[in-house]
Amino acid sequence: MHASVGDRIVIRGHRVGDPDRDCELLAVRGKDGEPPYLVRWGDTGHETLFFPGVDATLEHFEHPTA
Amino acid sequence: MRTIDGVRRSGVGIEPQHTIRDAAAIMEQAGVGSLAVIEGDRLVGIVTDRDLVRRGLARGLPADARVDAVMTAPVVTIDADADLHDAFALFRTHALRRLAVVRGEQFVGMVTVDDLLVDLAADLHDLSRPVSAEVLSAHHDSGLPATT
Repeated sequence: MHASVGDRIVIRGHRVGDPDRDCELLAVRGKDGEPPYLVRWGDTGHETLFFPGVDATLEHFEHPTA
Repeated sequence: MRTIDGVRRSGVGIEPQHTIRDAAAIMEQAGVGSLAVIEGDRLVGIVTDRDLVRRGLARGLPADARVDAVMTAPVVTIDADADLHDAFALFRTHALRRLAVVRGEQFVGMVTVDDLLVDLAADLHDLSRPVSAEVLSAHHDSGLPATT
């Protein structure tokens, strides 16, 4: 997974009826856009490290050009 | 099959100075039952929802106690490129339900007994299908070939 600051990561629910979860990518801690990522979880604003697995998908944020 | 191929869920890491309250909220927000406790680049512990209850709440620790007061350390780990059957042996030896998967000293994810059981159940279902089909379905013999 290659991510950029501002991207959104969505984690699908693991059980029937579980909601998907999402977080905002604040910083890339690995090399060349690789994990781990520093992320912020929407509702609570908590910041954690995130190590994406097969249950996570990336939604790129289109950075505005000058 | 490598151990990293058995990791089915994303991993979440927090710093040791996070509070027990923070850890519970993050588990709920992220939909996970365990967190890696990471200091700098180094994995220093694991905290589970069970740890929060048994080592935190049950012992009367305040919600703003540090998470490293209830985490499990040192951590039993397995290399990401190790054979997945090596993980089975660790689960058996240490009576654990989850293992931290690392590359060097860096945490990369968790492999859990629950996820491996789900995968094995799917494999067993695939293997049992031809057997159950043979047992349950009527046999239709093609008959002897014509000789004239």
